[in-house]
Amino acid sequence: MFLAIRELTHAKFRYVLIGLIMVLIASLIFIISGLTKGLSADNASAIQNLQADYVLMEPDAELEITKSFIPHKKLDDIAKIDGVEEANPLSIRMMNASVNGTQQNEDVALFVTEADGVLLPSVSEGKTIANENEVIADSSLKREGIEIGDTLQFGEESEFTIVGFTDNQRYSHTSVLFMDNGQRDNINAITIQAEEGKIDAIKSTIGDSLDIVTTEEALQGIPSYSQEQASLNMMIIFLFVIAAFVLAAFFYVITLQKRDQFGVLKALGAKTIYLVKNLIGQVVLLSVICIAVGVGLTLGIKALLPEDMPFLLETSGMIQTSLLILAVSVVGALVSLVQVVKIDPIEAIEGAGK
Amino acid sequence: MTLVLENVSKVYKDGPKEFKALDNVSLEVKPGEFIAIIGPSGSGKSTMLSIAGALLSPTSGRILLDGENTANLSANKITQRRLEKIGFVFQAANLIPYLKVKDQLSVINVIAKNKNKTRGNELLGHFGLAHRVNNYPNELSGGERQRVAIARALINDPKIILADEPTASLDSKRGREVVEMLADEIKTRGKSGIMVTHDERVLDLCDRVVTIRDGRLEE
Ligand SMILES: Nc1ncnc2c1ncn2[C@@H]1O[C@H](COP(=O)(O)OP(=O)(O)OP(=O)(O)O)[C@@H](O)[C@H]1O
Ligand SMILES: [Mg+2]
Repeated sequence: MFLAIRELTHAKFRYVLIGLIMVLIASLIFIISGLTKGLSADNASAIQNLQADYVLMEPDAELEITKSFIPHKKLDDIAKIDGVEEANPLSIRMMNASVNGTQQNEDVALFVTEADGVLLPSVSEGKTIANENEVIADSSLKREGIEIGDTLQFGEESEFTIVGFTDNQRYSHTSVLFMDNGQRDNINAITIQAEEGKIDAIKSTIGDSLDIVTTEEALQGIPSYSQEQASLNMMIIFLFVIAAFVLAAFFYVITLQKRDQFGVLKALGAKTIYLVKNLIGQVVLLSVICIAVGVGLTLGIKALLPEDMPFLLETSGMIQTSLLILAVSVVGALVSLVQVVKIDPIEAIEGAGK
Repeated sequence: MTLVLENVSKVYKDGPKEFKALDNVSLEVKPGEFIAIIGPSGSGKSTMLSIAGALLSPTSGRILLDGENTANLSANKITQRRLEKIGFVFQAANLIPYLKVKDQLSVINVIAKNKNKTRGNELLGHFGLAHRVNNYPNELSGGERQRVAIARALINDPKIILADEPTASLDSKRGREVVEMLADEIKTRGKSGIMVTHDERVLDLCDRVVTIRDGRLEE
């Protein structure tokens, strides 16, 4: 690292410039990742956090829960199948609720299930529902000024009272309300928890009458979920590729400029591996600094974002992304390594070997 | 005998054409001996120096460094021998632009994993560069740069010093100073030196002058 550090500090300007580009690219990757995760949660956290392994739907619904209709009595049949530990009804309805009989209207996603079933999330505030007229609401509704005890009315239907708040329950970019199913004849879907290794048997018992998909697969049925995620992920991939190419081009040009020096050092007895280590050292040092600054910048930007902006940064995800940027940088520098390896020390002596 | 070239020939192949740059050259350099190589341009001087310094392998013949035939060594071993036994001074000083004068020497210590770090300061003092240790190469005069290059060649205490036109970029007064320093090092420390030069006015500082013409040695 003797050479690496001295060159970095001597040629500050050029490395600060490339560093700046790296910082911006890294920050952009972090921000778009945060947005991807945030939108994913905003669109689907209620499904992602569902206490179930599999979702059963009508095949014609093509994974769109709201388009599937299953007779309620089917639930009992499913619950009796060997290997099914839990079977719960789930109906989802997108609704508009008027608050406390006033002009205030809120879009909500109604998750209708059984009050004593496992699908009902634990409350972070208030209490859980005791009857058909009570609901648990996602805490995002609090931002709209809604409190425990407020009533919601959907069209001409009866009033519902909010008795508790729960966290991280969003569906299709709207807040979720959980309520009891009452005595409905039709439900949209059935969720099950299956015994380890029994799912194939369960599938064959049910046969073709219902689609059985994992909760992960069920996300694809949420309107616009996969398109949203795919386009953002595409951006992220492109940014990684750009980062690799920018660094590759930069270090390639720098290495070309330094051919003579590398020749001299080799003639003086520096092994190729020593020079390679210095180059990799430079790339790693530069990348680590840039990623660190990028993380800082991203956290700063996050602090400035409005609270209801779907933006989610997880430490594990950040670390993964950072390592990936580092790896991509090193890969980008490999082109230059070939140069360093190929340089012949004879070039140090004028006239010979050219 | 620290450096022996035995019947060395070098043929450059350029497609179907062959060019014999060195033709059966033999040379022995004793400890404390300083040899000058002169000859017209293109006669094979640099080629010979490169082969002596294990930068280039001969087409035929043997090179003995301290009694060891370098032809049989792996590339890594050859690099290691260059580091331990040979000090190069090139035509242009070829200093590393982003290293301060003191670091130009330290880098060799780092590569060679030397523990003794004080020798660098001694050498720089010896060559009258004590006040320049914290300067970068572009802040030095040509003569100072070449003196740093000589100090760099000596830092690892090599037995053999090879110089390819070390005075080419200097005026005759500075050039002579540089060669005097080289000669002094070689004499007082018992090293073997070979210098390629075009400058006839420094030949009196050398023990022996060999002329090379069309790849053949004449003494
Ligand atoms: N890699 C090579 N391929 C083909 N021919 C070469 C190569 N290197 C050198 N030569 C030829 O070998 C001959 C000797 O070259 P060398 O560089 O040793 O000459 P020189 O005596 O050092 O000349 P100068 O005084 O100009 O430096 C020249 O004719 C040169 O063209
Ligand atoms: Mg030459």
